[in-house]
Amino acid sequence: MAGAIIENMSTKKLVIVGVILLLFQAFAFMVGGLIAPSPTAAVHYLATKCVDNVKHRQDSKWFMPWGPNQCDKIRSFDEAMAKHIEANNIVFAVHIPMPYKEMSPWFQFMLVILQFDIAFKMYNQIEDGALVTIDVGLAYRDDTMSEWTEMAHSFEQRKLSCNFTTDKTFDNEGRHYECDLLPFMEVGSVAHKYYLVNIRLPVNERKKVNVGIGEIKDIRLVGIHQNGGFTKVWFAMKTFLTPSIVIIMVWYWRRISMMSRPPVLLEKMILALGISMTFINIPVEWFSIGFNWTWMLLFGDIRQGVFYSMLLSFWIIFCGEHLMDHTERNRISVYWKQVGPIVFGSFCLFIFDMCERGVQLTNPFYSIWASEVGTELAMAFIIVAGICACLYFLFLCFMVFQVFRNISGKRSSLPAMSKARRLHYEGLIFRFKFLMLVTLTCAAMTVIFFIISQVNEGHWHWGEHTVQVNSAFFTGIYGMWNLYVFAIMFLYAPSHKRYGDEQTRDTGASSGEDIQLTTTITHVDGPTEIYKMTGKEAQE
Amino acid sequence: MTREYVSRCALMLCFALLSANASNWLYLAKLSSVGSIRDEETCERLRGLIQRQVQICKRSVEVMDAVRRGAQLAIDECQYQFRNRRWNCSTLESMPVFGKVVTQGTREAAFVYAISAASVAFAVTRACSSGELEKCGCDHNVHGVSPEGFQWSGCSDNIAYGVAFSQSFVDVRERGKGQSSNRALMNLHNNEAGRKAILSHMRVECKCHGVSGSCEVKTCWKAMPPFRKVGNIIKEKFDGATEVEQRKVGSTKVLVPRNSQFKPHTDEDLVYLDPSPDFCDYDPRTPGMLGTVGRQCNRTSKAIDGCELMCCGRGFQTQEVEVVDRCSCKFHWCCYVKCKQCRKTVEMHTCR
Repeated sequence: MAGAIIENMSTKKLVIVGVILLLFQAFAFMVGGLIAPSPTAAVHYLATKCVDNVKHRQDSKWFMPWGPNQCDKIRSFDEAMAKHIEANNIVFAVHIPMPYKEMSPWFQFMLVILQFDIAFKMYNQIEDGALVTIDVGLAYRDDTMSEWTEMAHSFEQRKLSCNFTTDKTFDNEGRHYECDLLPFMEVGSVAHKYYLVNIRLPVNERKKVNVGIGEIKDIRLVGIHQNGGFTKVWFAMKTFLTPSIVIIMVWYWRRISMMSRPPVLLEKMILALGISMTFINIPVEWFSIGFNWTWMLLFGDIRQGVFYSMLLSFWIIFCGEHLMDHTERNRISVYWKQVGPIVFGSFCLFIFDMCERGVQLTNPFYSIWASEVGTELAMAFIIVAGICACLYFLFLCFMVFQVFRNISGKRSSLPAMSKARRLHYEGLIFRFKFLMLVTLTCAAMTVIFFIISQVNEGHWHWGEHTVQVNSAFFTGIYGMWNLYVFAIMFLYAPSHKRYGDEQTRDTGASSGEDIQLTTTITHVDGPTEIYKMTGKEAQE
Repeated sequence: MTREYVSRCALMLCFALLSANASNWLYLAKLSSVGSIRDEETCERLRGLIQRQVQICKRSVEVMDAVRRGAQLAIDECQYQFRNRRWNCSTLESMPVFGKVVTQGTREAAFVYAISAASVAFAVTRACSSGELEKCGCDHNVHGVSPEGFQWSGCSDNIAYGVAFSQSFVDVRERGKGQSSNRALMNLHNNEAGRKAILSHMRVECKCHGVSGSCEVKTCWKAMPPFRKVGNIIKEKFDGATEVEQRKVGSTKVLVPRNSQFKPHTDEDLVYLDPSPDFCDYDPRTPGMLGTVGRQCNRTSKAIDGCELMCCGRGFQTQEVEVVDRCSCKFHWCCYVKCKQCRKTVEMHTCR
């Protein structure tokens, strides 16, 4: 990287570029905050209690909570008691979505949470470690008249973790337990208009199935999906960003290949960063509107994972290549110690994701957290990934510290150096400090906005306008990292300008030093024709 | 034809006689004979509604079943919360449901108004969530008028609709009389306090569903508290209710605490105008004032359920009663209990 564009650019031009990027950044935030609705929507469903009257039921019978052909309903279980209806004949039915609404492929995914309302009864308490076994079926149809088609059917177990906050006395009978949310279902694409969930809680005393789970009053579901409006804005953004990054990437690589030397590691790394950004940008999600691709959710996770690990590797290598300690690096294998944890950590998360979302491709009701072994395994993966992340940040911090130490070391000896050598080091320091500053700003922005979006209610009212903070967070941060990659590829591309021109005039003073410069640093930082030339000139 | 005419006349008479009592619509809970409220005709025949409530009924017939369930819920919860007090929220088979006890601006009336406004909001919200109503939630959203609105930005919470309906249906009686009367002001305040008991105790629940289930993407929603909890909250407010009087501030009339040294009440507190009677004796002139003769009491307790206070110093009788109790039961989560029968003798104290 002999003289990257950033070094040779005048301050004025640099400021102009910065302002343009900032404008785009503000635009990205505004698109999310003002145009898009909130990213996701949660819909409450209260399960209707249907009675399965038929003794020998056929498997194809589905129970509708409302509308034509609705099931025989009971209001409460006291009513069921009076009518001598058994637990095994009760079906909890939930229709997704609400009446007169339709689901749409724009929702991208649908995940459903299960909640039990369990009343406290002195003689019928929840036993410790109680498991609920649910017999659950999911069906779909695309118009209100046709028959339901089964999509999935499964027996699942969920662990009830409920606690009763007041004293367990007769006086407090009828109060409800406070139960944790249970994961219920996750579907990676919403290709149909109507969905129907039928849940049974079969009781078998001999096998200890659904015994000791307290007195269930109601079953509630919460359906979460991405908002269609947000999806549209998101797609539009991706469709706009893809060509921008691709164009700058092609331009960048052309510049690199125009040089007479082969590209160095850092340049390859920047290209890889661009490629992974494009990988995340390419709006393949458009296909999910037409095709029923349930693996899109998993694919999205993988794409994000690839980008994150590439970004983390880039930072390490960037620091390493700016160490200025006269060691030959320029090979990825030198960085195995630092890149290793990234690869291993993301591999762990990948395995975990495959275990959860991968299995959900075949069984949408599967949850790794439902079983004891699964929970331990998942925790193990996450903890290992966490340790890797800590290791990585330790290495990164240490490297940054080393660079700064070397910088301050070099700074004291700068005035004594020859002009070419001084310019070279000043360039290195400037490049490093600039990226450091930009990266820290971006990371800080990400963290700040993340915290705001976590703490905040999700939208601010600003006069008559509502600002969707969460959407602004997503589009803004996404746009920011795109601009970050864009700026790096633009500013760190090799420059055509030769700052050797002005140097030739007064290089007489610095002789012998420059030869040393070419031998020690060329490998690290790319062979520089200018330095060689100036060195030669000086010798002559 | 004539029957309807007669009943309508009776209805008018009822309104004329009992227009002071705004909780008459609670009588809906007692109308088990009407069956489901399905068409606008039924609205006319419902006893206990004023004309403007009938209009609301006609406009949104589908909600009325939920309103009726709300009325039942309010009565049940009131009876549960007051089970140990001298006035135990006993209902009559005629109108007004609680007799004349709640026609004065007492603490008890404040509780009844609050719990009934809350119960309507609660029941309507529940009906929304179970898909019984067509026009919940989505009506109140910016984009949410058409199906495209749901697809663009989802729907707002059902509780907003429930509370709005409660405001229009329950409060309409007080609004009709104008804001001037101090009873109307008290009732409106207590209705709102009842709804606040739900609104300010909504539980926020969140689910993380980002990459690998991280909290990068988090969705939060508000879940309604169970109604028993709402009842408990309003009962606490009942115990700490503020006695108020009407005063003119500028051109508007407001309720301020009678004792100026007390902290002014908040939106969530209950207020009352008149001190409660002692509820000790049966009073044939006041329907619903049943007295505490024959009520069970607790001999060891010093509180209001103790025999001293409950029987108003008249003393009590003690009987030894053999009760057949259920013991060592086996339960299923629903609808199945198998028990042994245990006999035991207990001492029962009843007021003289």
